[in-house]
Parts: sequence; structure tokens; C-alpha cells
Amino acid sequence: MLKVENVSKSYSAPRGTLEILSDISFSLSRGDAVSIMGPSGSGKSTLLYVLGALEPPTTGSVTLNGQNPFQLNPRQLAAFRNKEIGFVFQDHCLLPQCSVIENVLTPTLVTEVNQNHVERARALLEQVGLLERIDHRPAELSGGEKQRVALARALILKPQLLLCDEPTGNLDQKSADAVASLLVELQEQQETILVIVTHNAELASRFSRRFQLTDRHLKEA
Amino acid sequence: MRTAQLVKRNLSYYWRTNLAVMLGVATAVAVLAGALLVGDSVRASLRDLFLLRLGNTSHVVSAPEFFREQLAGDIQSHKQFASDGFQAVCPLIELEGNVSHGTSGRRAGGVRVYGVDERFWKFHGRDGKPAPQNREVFVSDSLARELESRSGDSLLIRIEKPSAIPVESLHGRKEDLGSTLRLTMGATLAADDLGEFSIQPQQTPVRAVFVSLRLLQKELGQEGKLNTILISESPNRGPGSGSSDEAVKKILKEAATLGDYGIELRALDKQQSISLERSSTLIDEPLMDTARGVARSLTMRAAPVLSYLANSIAAGGRSIPYSLVTAVDNQKYEELRRQDSTVANIPHYGVPNPIILNEWAARDLGVRRGDPVSLEYYVWQTDGRIETKTAQFNLSAVVPIAGPAADRDLVPDYPGISESASLADWDPPFPVDLKRIRKQDEDYWDQYRTTPKAFIPLRSGQELWESRFGKLTSIRLSSPTDSSLDQTLGKYRQALQAALGPASRGLNIVAVRRQGLEASRGATDFGEYFLYFSFFLVVSALLLSALFFKLGIEQRLREIGTLQAIGFSAAKIRGLFLAEGFVLAMTGSLFGLAAAVAYGYLILIGLRTWWVDAVGTTLLTLHVSTLSLLMGGAGGVLAAAICIVWTLRRLGRSSTRSLLMGTASDRSTKSHEITRSEGTRFVPLRVVSWIVYAFKLTTLRAAMVLAIPGILLLVAASFHLIGQTGGFFGGGAFLLVALLCYQSAWLGKPRRKSIQGVGWLPVSRLGFRNATARPGRSVLCIALIALSTFIIVAVDAFRRDSRDVSSDKKSGSGGFPLLAESLLPLVQDPNTATGREALNTGNDEGTASLANATFTRFRLRPGDDASCLNLYQPRNPRILAATEDFLKNNRFVFQKSVAGTKEEAENPWLLLNRELDEGVVPVIADANSMTYVLHLRIGDELVLNRNDGPVRLRLVAALVDSVFQSELIMAEKSFLRLFPSEQGYRFFLIDAPERDLAAVTATLEDRLADFGFDVVPTSERLAGFHRVENTYLSTFQMLGGLGLVLGTLGMAAVLLRNVFERRKELALLRAVGYNSSHFTLMVIAENALLLFLGLATGALCALLAIAPVFFERGGRLPNVSLGFLLLAVLISGLTASLVATWAALKSPLLPALRAE
Repeated sequence: MLKVENVSKSYSAPRGTLEILSDISFSLSRGDAVSIMGPSGSGKSTLLYVLGALEPPTTGSVTLNGQNPFQLNPRQLAAFRNKEIGFVFQDHCLLPQCSVIENVLTPTLVTEVNQNHVERARALLEQVGLLERIDHRPAELSGGEKQRVALARALILKPQLLLCDEPTGNLDQKSADAVASLLVELQEQQETILVIVTHNAELASRFSRRFQLTDRHLKEA
Repeated sequence: MRTAQLVKRNLSYYWRTNLAVMLGVATAVAVLAGALLVGDSVRASLRDLFLLRLGNTSHVVSAPEFFREQLAGDIQSHKQFASDGFQAVCPLIELEGNVSHGTSGRRAGGVRVYGVDERFWKFHGRDGKPAPQNREVFVSDSLARELESRSGDSLLIRIEKPSAIPVESLHGRKEDLGSTLRLTMGATLAADDLGEFSIQPQQTPVRAVFVSLRLLQKELGQEGKLNTILISESPNRGPGSGSSDEAVKKILKEAATLGDYGIELRALDKQQSISLERSSTLIDEPLMDTARGVARSLTMRAAPVLSYLANSIAAGGRSIPYSLVTAVDNQKYEELRRQDSTVANIPHYGVPNPIILNEWAARDLGVRRGDPVSLEYYVWQTDGRIETKTAQFNLSAVVPIAGPAADRDLVPDYPGISESASLADWDPPFPVDLKRIRKQDEDYWDQYRTTPKAFIPLRSGQELWESRFGKLTSIRLSSPTDSSLDQTLGKYRQALQAALGPASRGLNIVAVRRQGLEASRGATDFGEYFLYFSFFLVVSALLLSALFFKLGIEQRLREIGTLQAIGFSAAKIRGLFLAEGFVLAMTGSLFGLAAAVAYGYLILIGLRTWWVDAVGTTLLTLHVSTLSLLMGGAGGVLAAAICIVWTLRRLGRSSTRSLLMGTASDRSTKSHEITRSEGTRFVPLRVVSWIVYAFKLTTLRAAMVLAIPGILLLVAASFHLIGQTGGFFGGGAFLLVALLCYQSAWLGKPRRKSIQGVGWLPVSRLGFRNATARPGRSVLCIALIALSTFIIVAVDAFRRDSRDVSSDKKSGSGGFPLLAESLLPLVQDPNTATGREALNTGNDEGTASLANATFTRFRLRPGDDASCLNLYQPRNPRILAATEDFLKNNRFVFQKSVAGTKEEAENPWLLLNRELDEGVVPVIADANSMTYVLHLRIGDELVLNRNDGPVRLRLVAALVDSVFQSELIMAEKSFLRLFPSEQGYRFFLIDAPERDLAAVTATLEDRLADFGFDVVPTSERLAGFHRVENTYLSTFQMLGGLGLVLGTLGMAAVLLRNVFERRKELALLRAVGYNSSHFTLMVIAENALLLFLGLATGALCALLAIAPVFFERGGRLPNVSLGFLLLAVLISGLTASLVATWAALKSPLLPALRAE
């Protein structure tokens, strides 16, 4: 379960404090899939990064299965992120020097879970339709294909929480649809908690729960 | 996939950046290891050269006086010679001489003249090689080339004739001191044929001639004698054989005879006693003490005797010319006095200045006991003139010419006197008026020969006639026992020989091989020097590596963010990059080691050709030392690793978010505790981080903190509290870093004033503003340029001007326009009429130019050149003796002294007369020699190993850039005490009007050609030293130039990167109407700012750092060449920026907008 309680986030700027998020609270259970929408600059990505333990909240707490990641030391936090959280970014952020399967296996290089990850990687790639391209480099893939690889990478270690920041933002409609479908399908299969940030209403509509981030507050639509 | 595989992928994918990093490391290692190789090569080359020229020689026995040739055979046949590990001996004569071509007149000085036979080549393992026969002479290759002589040509060799009697004594011959041999050139000898045989290490070509030993002995009047014996060690001599030096000393002591020491024991049958005499006619005090000690041990009486020639014995208006007078001890005097029957029972004490005359003299003078008697005599003064003196006595007794008063053996053999048949045939080396000689004088000579006419007490005689060479002419030994005279003689001879050591009698033993090998370590450590000046080059190369490594990281920021996001800890990410960096450093190092050999090879080519003035030899070859390569490689890898670690220090501080957006810093999240603590986890950074956090240092504060030690170092160096080299580099380095820190702070400061307006100025300001976008990168560029500029400016400012300073008394030439050295000593004073007449430099028509010339004379003890012209470490420096007049004249400029009084501070030359601790002698040296060759400071001591024990020479003052860089200077009185056998004057500073200089030079070299007189302008001597220094500077400037190239390459790379990163910005500007000229102006403005800051920082720090030295040395900034150099930096920098701009802008910009 993901529990967010009274989370606020602000930044120090040369001209004073900049408040991005204010008193946000919600909770999600295993298998929940939600979208967060909001205008540009509303703080959607910031909220995602707080949920993903990439940035701490200024106030409030975030717990995943009872564990507050911000109470961990840096090494423990990295391990937590590695094991429990998967990310998909707008810009796929694949390693250009690694092949498709290597990109998917990248999180397993530092995992504490000792098992055969290659089979799982191959299985995920088959699911995203890229099994025949496992030895190809990112430069040889289309935008949609890259994003599918990113999705497989995010799920390789079966995270509890999958966070997506505008996963289809850079894709054409067809690719976006394909990626969106895959996202939903895999989320349902893995029973992860999915939080997707988007300004694409159609994508947001695929999810039963939708939040709106406006004026620093999160409201469920 | 494993981590190693990821590292491998990263290395190959980003090969362009990685290649640049490797090249940077390779350059650093090449320079580091190359510098060490150069040092090794110079040392090894000097060693090889020395050993080639030394042949098989391990030890040399030599003496200022000639000894028996048979001594060599006696040494070799000594029972312990072979068992102590020695192999062979070789007798020869070694002298210094001048050689001139019989036809062309070409001359060469400083020639080693060897008298050898076939044993010489056999000794060096070249059996069967024929020796020069009869009037044949072999010549070394280099000398033959210099004289342009060929086989069959006639050569004139001028050498000093050895003389047992000291030249500077009354009976020493002062004219015809040299001997000229006209010989025919035979073979030319190559260096590996021992043509350059030399027992003294020197890197310059050796001028040597080899003549027949027998011929040379005959010409010098030394048949059966020589002055040098070579000894070789057996190749099998192991360390267990004991000290070879001690062994050879022992063998020599047992093999040498009294005759080898110039000591003669004569059995006098008539007197039933033994006379101990020396071939020099004078017995020195150490010998006197030893002889008396031995006599005591054998219960013999040793009676001292001092005989002298009086010009006249006069009394009551009468005088007896040219009479011998003998001074004896009290016992002998009393014995003589009692020969006068009238005074037998009258004690002699109470008679002041008593004198005894024999009957003949008393009768001739018509004197009686109690009458005053005067003696007139000559004394040779040390300043080169004969002085006539008179002494008054009172006649205390008249004795018959019988018994002890009839002893003609009391007088030693004087050449030109003793063997003469009559007084009229006398040919002494001082003026004699033969007209004074009367018939009765000739009759006396016929009957009594050298029987003394008068006797005085020994104390009186020594007060009148003692000299630095001795105060006795013989010691009369007698034994009270019944032993026969022969037995007594034999016993005494044996005992005296055992008591005397060869070294104390002038027979030197020098371990030439060992000492030469030690000297081969070099006076100038080229490795250290190249390391010093390569330091900035190495730092530039490492900075370049760090720059490209950093650029590589910045290229992969998103990748780093991704890795962070998927669970790679900061430590793990850092580990990845460290692994990559380590592989790059190791690979770069391997390439660097190969390049180091090439670099070292090129430097040595340079030292043999363009920079040959710095080393004076073309015989340097590359010697590759594994240790140096390893040290250079390890040093380079370590330095690169530190740079990489330092570059990675900020890696953990950036937030994942900013990394994912492709930026390195996100200041709004600076309080992230986890990131900060991760940043300090790396050990190498922990100390620096602690300092930074402990003192809350910003770059501005760091600038202030670093400036303080920089300033302190400069001040300390200017007051000579620390070495100037270290102070200069240290102070400059600190100030450089401090300024760079300040610029970093300045570039990172938020800008208040907005850019507005129209035209080239606001566009330029936009360019300037771009430099602040990445302050770290900009500072790195500035640092590269600044470091190179630092070295170029600083080094060039040390370059010596070749302006003429001859007329200034307070200059390096002391106001003397000319300097001269002579092969043979001049004992006469060329400043006096008598001296000029004796030297044929008097006031005749041909010597008119000398009318206004004055000579300042110095005695000279030959030794090792202590200047930068000598690459070998001087173990035994040349020493000059300065006269009192010179000391008082207070010429030349001093850098520092130990002056304790006002007078000494005004004239530090007076320090040479200061009384120091027992056995310590004050000396003055040139500051350059002191610092860079002898590696000593004011107050330090240099130990000189002499025959009879070491002497401590203490440096009391340092001269500034003087003509005395090759020697040490001491007071004449100290010199005469320490080196009594060094006679006459051989070094001269000459003052003459400028219009007469050429004529003075020509006249002196002509009139004093027999003395081997060689005159050079002092400016030429100074220019010779300056050439070495300036060549070093040119060499080191090359390194600065290399650093400059690295700097501009780095700059070009950074510019290119900057432009690529801002393609979207530039695309936007293009879209709103900026054209290529605007972009060019912006980029040029940005780069010009960095260039200017780099140049200004480097130049300013260098000028500050060299300010103390600049004022002390009175150096000048050669503005033209310096300005040219800085202009070259500016042009190359701007050119690089133009090229980078062109490269970056040649592809279309607008498509970059489509990614938005």
C-alpha cells in the first residue's frame, strides 16, 4: 500500500520560497492504477519524484507497505528504489551503448535479489513485442519501441510501485496507444500500484481513478 | 549483464571522449617519465664518457715533483699488489700544455700532454699498439680537428719545466720556465683508442697529445723520472677484498723511498754525520718535525741548519761580496764560538745579535770581537720582486777555518753556484755584480768552496730568511753510539721512511674511478630540472584529461540520472566511472610510457643540437631506465586517478531529477543530506571535504586562504630564507590557484545588470555572459592558459641580456674589460718596471698599448670547474687567491654575505681575512655556482681533500653573476699557507682603456706567448655562462610552448562542447534573426574573455613570482620576445575558437528546434 499523508513540497529560490505541492494526501492499494493530470508546471512531475523517493517532501510522509523511504540511509534508499519502484520517463532514458536486453537488465546489476533475471527480461520483452530485437541498440528502435523497452526495464524486478512521467508524451498517437495498452496490461498482470502523470486526457481516461493537481492541491476527479 | 560488461560498453561507446582522456594521461606520463629518462640519460652518458676516457685506471699516484720511474715497478712487484686485487701499473708523465700548429699558427690551450710508451696501451688492454717514437706525437681526434692538422705536420708543444727549487724562492729560476718541443704529428687517436684519455671527468672534448716518454724525460731533464703512475684493479676484485684505497696507500708507502719524496741522506765521512737535505733545498716544518722525532727515537742528535747567500758581509767601511752564512742552533753555535780561544770561557749570552766570522773574513774586514758587522742579502717577496735587506750583528767570536767551522757541506747544492769553477762563473737566478769579486774572493772559493764565512744563531737566521717553503736547508744528524756511519745511515733511512707517509710528502693517491663515478652523478640534475619545469606541462595534460573526463560525464548526465532512478547508489555510479577512469588512466599510461622514450629521445637530440650550449657535449645518448619508466607511469596514473576522483566529487550532489533533465546541478535541492554525505564517502576527497566543510570555504575564501602562503613564499624567497627555485615555483603556484579560485567565484556570481541595447557591444556581452553558464568549465580553460603563460613569462624573464657591463666596477666583470690565464706562472709583477722588463712587456714601441694597462693578479690552484659549464659534480674546485689590494678595492657585486661589521657589509671581500675556527678557511664564490653547481648556501662548508688532510672551506659571501663562476676565491695568505707549492700568478684581470683593448690583447698574447698567456674579454666569459643559462631557458620554454598547445587544444574542445550544448539556444537566436557573424562575435567574445583572463592570470603571477629575483639580478624583461610569446598565445587561442565555431556551426541549427 502507498500512503501519502500531508505532503507538501517547496523549493528555495533566489527570490523566496516556491511552494509546489501543498498538503497532499491519498493512499493506493496493490493493483490500483491512477492518473494525475494538471496543467504544465503544476507540479505533477515533482509529486511523482516525491512518490518515487527521488526527492523528499518538505513536510508530510510517504510510505510504501509501511516503509518510509526517507528514513533510510542513502544505500538503503537506493536498494529500496531498486527493488520496490519502477520508473518510466517521458524521455525513455535508455543507455545508448547497451542493447535492448541489456537496458532491461540494468536494474538487476545492483539488486540484492539473486535470481535469473535474464529469463524474466526475455519474457517481458516478449510481452512488449520486442523479443526479436533484444540485441539491437536504442538508436535502431523507434520512439515507441524505446518506450516499450523502458517499460520492461521498469518492471524487471517486479516493483510494488510503477511511476510513469508522461510515458507517451513524445510518441505519435499509434505508438502512444500501444504503449498505453501495454502499460495497463502489464500493470494488471503484475498487480503493481501504477501512478501515471500525464496531460493526455485520453490516456488518463483509461484509469479508474484520476487525480487533478491544481494550485498545489490534489483532488480526485 | 555484469558491471564489467557495462564498463566495457561505456568505454567503447564513448570512445571519442575516452580517447581524449587517454591522450591527456599519456601526455602527462610521457612528460613525467620522459623527464626522469633525460636525467638518467645525462647521468649515464656522463658516466660512460668518463669511463671511456679513463680506460682501465682505478687509482692514480701523482706528485708535483718528479719521482723514480722504478717506483711503478716496485709497486707492481710488491707482494700484496696482486693479492689485494690490483692488476697492473703504468708509469707516465702528465702535464698541461699548449699546442700550436707549426705552419698555420693555430693554437690550443688546456692540452693534456702525456709522455707514454707501449706500457700505456698494454695497461688499457690494447696490447701491440705502438707508442710514439722519437719526435713523433699522437694527437686526439678533437685536437687534430681543432688545429686542422694532419699526419706529418709540425706541432709545437709548450709545457712547464719541472723545477725542484721553488720558483718563488731566491734560488728558483724565474725565466725560461717552460720547454718547447717541436714534434711531428703521427697518428690521430679516436676516443675509443684512448685518444681522449683523461683522469679528470669533463664532458667537453679532451685535447690530448701523446709523446715518447723517453723524449719527454730527456727534454725536461728528468731522465728515469716521472710524475704519474696509473694503477688498475683486477676485474675479479670482489667487495671482500677490502678498501682498495687503503690497500694502495699501504703498498705505496712500503714501495716509496726517500728519494721519491725528494729527500736525500748524505753520509759525511769527514764530519761523521749524516746530512738530510731536499732537492728543493728547503726543509719544510712537517719534515723537520718528523726527522727530529725519528732522530730522537734512535737517540740521535738532529741539528737544524739554515744556510744563505749574503750579498755582502760589511764592517767598518769594508765588505766581502757574495759570502755564505750559516745559521745553527745554540748548541752548534756554542761549539763554534768555543773554537775562538779568546772567548772559550766567556759565556755568550748578553751579546745582542751575535755573529761569528771565520778568520779569513775577520781579517779581510779588519774587525775584532765586539765590532758591528752587517749582512746584506736578497729576499724574494711573494708579490714578485727581489728586495735587498740589511741586518746588523755584533761580532762575538772569530774562529779558525778548521773543525766545525770548515764544513762546506753545511750549504746545499745551488744550481748555478755550487758547481761553478770560480765565482766569475756563477749564474744564479738573481742579479750578481761580478765586478765586486776580488782575487782573494776567488782564492777563497778555490780553497774553501762553499765553506760559510759567518755563523749566526738559528733564530736570527730564520727571522731573516725563512719562507713558506721551509726554514731549514738541512738537518745534520749524528749518533753518539759506536755504530758505523753506514749502519746509522741505514737505520735512520729505514725509520724515516716508515715515519713518512706518501701523502704528507706530496705523493698523492687518488681513487679516480670511484671519484669520477661519483662526479658523474652530475652537478645539475637534469631530471629534477625537467621535472620542475615539466610540472606545469604535466598539470596541463592532467587538467586536459580531467576536462575531457568531465565533459564525458556531462555528456552522460541523463544516463547517470537513469541509473540513480533504477536503484544505482551514488557510490555505485561513482564506482562505475572510477573503473572507467582507471582503465583509461592505465591505458593512457602505457601509451605514455612508449611516448616517454620518444620524448626523452627528442629532448636528447635537442640537447645535442639546438641546446648544445647548455651541456657542452654532443655525446649524450638515451638510456632507458625501467625504474624511471615505472615511476613516471605510476606518478601519471596516480595523478590522473586523483583528477578523476576530484572530477567525480560532485557526482552525488546532483538530484536525480536535474540529471534526468540533463543538468548537473540543482541548487534548490542543495539541502539533501543523503547526497552530501555520499559525496564525502570517498577517501581521497574526505580530507578536502573536511577542510571545506570545517572552514565553510567558498571558492572566494579559498582564494584568500591560498593567497597567504603564496605571498609568504615569495617574501621568504626574496629574503633567501628558502631556496629561490622552490620559493618561485611555490609562491607562483599558490597565487595562480588563488586567482583561479577567485575567478571561479566571480564567474559563478549572479549577474545583476541585464544585457540590453543594440549593436556589437551587447552581443559581445552576451558572449561574456555565456562564459558564466558553466563556471567550472570556464575556469578550467583559464587554468590551462594561465599555467602555460606562467611558465613562458617566468622563464623568459630570467634570460640574460648580453649588454656590455665591462666598465662598471660594480658588475659581474668588476669593471675589468679583460681576463687572462697563463699556462706557466708569472712570478714577476707586470705592473712594475722591473717586472715589465723581465717579462718583455716593457715600454718599447711594440708595447705602447700596455702603458695604461694594469694587472690584478691571482694565484691559481687548478681543479674542477665549478661553473654551469661543467656537467660533472666538482669535487675539487679551482681556487684563486686574491691579493690584499684586490680585496681592498671592493669591486664586483655581492648577493649575500655573513658580514658582521659595517666595514664587512660595505666590502664583503674583507671577510676573506676573517679568522674562523681552527682549520676553517673563508672563501667566496659566485651565487650561481654556489646554488646550482655546488648546491651550497652561505655559511655552508666544502671539504677539500688535500695530501696531508682535509681542509674546510666556508662560504662567507656570494657574488652576483660574476666572471668567477668557475672557481672559489680565498685570501692570498690562506692560499700560500694551504698550497705552498702553487707558485706564481696564473690568473689576471686586466684594466685598460677601451680603445686599447684589442692592441693590449694582441701584445700580451705575443709577448707572453712562452707563458701560454691567453686573453679574453670578460664580457665573453660572462656570455659563455649566460649562454648555458639562456639555453636552459630556451629548453624549458619549449615545454611551456607544449603546455600552451595543450591549453589551446583543451580550449577548442571546450568551445566545441559549449556550442553543441547550446545548439537549441543558437537555433532560437537564428530563428529570431541572428546571423553567423553575430554567433562568431559571441563565441569570440566568450573565448577572448577566457583567453585574456588566462593570459593575465598567468603573466601576473609569473611577474609577481619573479619580482624578487628580477630586482636582485638586475634582469630585464625582454619585452619584445615576451610580448611575441603572449601574442602567439592569444592568436592560437583565438584561432582555436574560430575553428571550433566553424565546426560547430557548419551544420544547420534550426532542426534542433524541432525536438521541442
